[in-house]
Amino acid sequence: MNDGSQAAADSSAAAAVDPILDVDGVTLQYKTKEHLITATYRVGFKVYPADRFVLLGPSGCGKSTLLKGVAGYLKPVEGNMRLKGVDIKDPGPDRVMVFQEFDQLLPWKTVKQNITFALMNGGRCSSQNEANDIAMEYIKKVKLDRFEDTYPHMLSGGMKQRVAIARGMAMEPDVLLMDEPFAALDALTRLQMQEELLQLWEDTHFTVLFVTHSIEEALIVGSRILVLSPHPGQVKAELNAHHLNHSNVGEPEFAALQQKIHNMLFADRILEDELVHEIVEAET
Amino acid sequence: MSNVPEIVVRSEFEAESIGDAVKADVARKLTPLERLVDMDGVRKFSILLALMIAWELYTRLSGVSELILPTFSATATAFYDALVNDQLLIMVKNSLTILVMGYAIGLVIATLLTTAAIMTRFGSDVLSTLTAMLNPLPAIALLPLALLWFGLGSSSIVFTLLHSVIWPVALNAHTGFMGVSDTQRMVGRNYGLRRVNYVTKLLIPAAFPSILMGLKIGWAYAWRTLIAAELVFGGAIADTSGTQSGGLGWFVFANQMDMRIPHVFAGLFTVILVGVIVESLIFTTIESKTIRRWGMQSS
Repeated sequence: MNDGSQAAADSSAAAAVDPILDVDGVTLQYKTKEHLITATYRVGFKVYPADRFVLLGPSGCGKSTLLKGVAGYLKPVEGNMRLKGVDIKDPGPDRVMVFQEFDQLLPWKTVKQNITFALMNGGRCSSQNEANDIAMEYIKKVKLDRFEDTYPHMLSGGMKQRVAIARGMAMEPDVLLMDEPFAALDALTRLQMQEELLQLWEDTHFTVLFVTHSIEEALIVGSRILVLSPHPGQVKAELNAHHLNHSNVGEPEFAALQQKIHNMLFADRILEDELVHEIVEAET
Repeated sequence: MSNVPEIVVRSEFEAESIGDAVKADVARKLTPLERLVDMDGVRKFSILLALMIAWELYTRLSGVSELILPTFSATATAFYDALVNDQLLIMVKNSLTILVMGYAIGLVIATLLTTAAIMTRFGSDVLSTLTAMLNPLPAIALLPLALLWFGLGSSSIVFTLLHSVIWPVALNAHTGFMGVSDTQRMVGRNYGLRRVNYVTKLLIPAAFPSILMGLKIGWAYAWRTLIAAELVFGGAIADTSGTQSGGLGWFVFANQMDMRIPHVFAGLFTVILVGVIVESLIFTTIESKTIRRWGMQSS
């Protein structure tokens, strides 16, 4: 497939459907005690329905900050973010976030209550019975039936993340935001969770915006990958990976794309090293 | 290079089939004795029993004067006598009534202060400054002033109780709210919690271990302060209010004046007993139904 036909395919798809999420020229800044840090600089991308859109980059590329911006926790100093054409102002249940941290589950609620709590407060359900039914449906989907009355502290890390994903999906948000949801898991559990996420996606083709720093995870989970450069985060490339999943790991195509992204991310590193060399040489 | 150990290459093997583990080896039922020892009440009661026996033995064998240290059995008899003849229960009730009043008003004020502290930076500054200033001040030291302002009566004692309740409760609650994790805050906002809902459904349960700790400390401070206040001024208060009964502290004081030492011990024992009952019945129950069940405190 050459570049021309790729671009043509893109534009025809873009003409047929409107993007769910439109991020346009967004600069995000946040303050620490001593510094004002620019996390992303004029980043733009469009997420279409059924996308498994991955924000990929090394630490410091502002991908998590970008996700927090889309979630509504952070206001851009420049540019705008629109969900279904409406400007994002505050956090809301139309964009549910799945965090990396295990304490995202409320420890004073059982697995089921954690989900019904979200459904009732997020305005998706008005009756407790309806919320219970929906909660049980999603608990079954993530294979946690029998654990619905368990408190989160009794669950393993992988199970906690499953509950968080079930809670997010039960809300049926316009876009599910996932902030390195598997990063705190062990390698075997992570692999299993990635597969399960893809299976869940097969059912309803929900839209996901997924943050990761692992190239392999991006290729497996993502259908489209936005590669970001660090300090501040800027768009390096947007690539397709919809044809790749676990079964392709180790195949030449998978490896080639992996290498390509690897080179993109490390090109900076080499430049920085050369720069340092030049400075050192100039000084001596 | 003969010092470097070489890898020893061994032959590989795969287990053909894995037999079922015998059930009893994987999970064994605890014996009755093991379960008995696991019960909190049983363990603590045996400590109490040991203390009582040691007390009785020491007083009997050493021949110490009854006026210095009465025997355990004499104290127990005095306790029974006080229950039947000296209206001990009414005194406990008098003390607890004042305590509950002071505690309740204290909680309301502490809630207001904490609310101000989490809403505004000014409120937070006010709370931390006031706490730093007033928390180290013993409540009983305020009693002379309180008597001057409010006169001889239960309102003076309630005032000193307020002082002993407000600071620990407000300080602990505030610390608890500050410690609620960012992730949980973001989760709450994500699912549309705002203002009052955000506080009642997210912040309070998330900060509950600290809040409960504050409530416990506040209760203990208040109880101590109350007994001390009654010890010093309880008789005067009882006389002017015309009830002639006073509280527990007054019971201890009056019996010491009459040299009824076993009754003094019985009074102190009652002070401890009320403390233990409140701690184990009320607070431990709340703990086991909330933070322990939620895994926010190990049991």
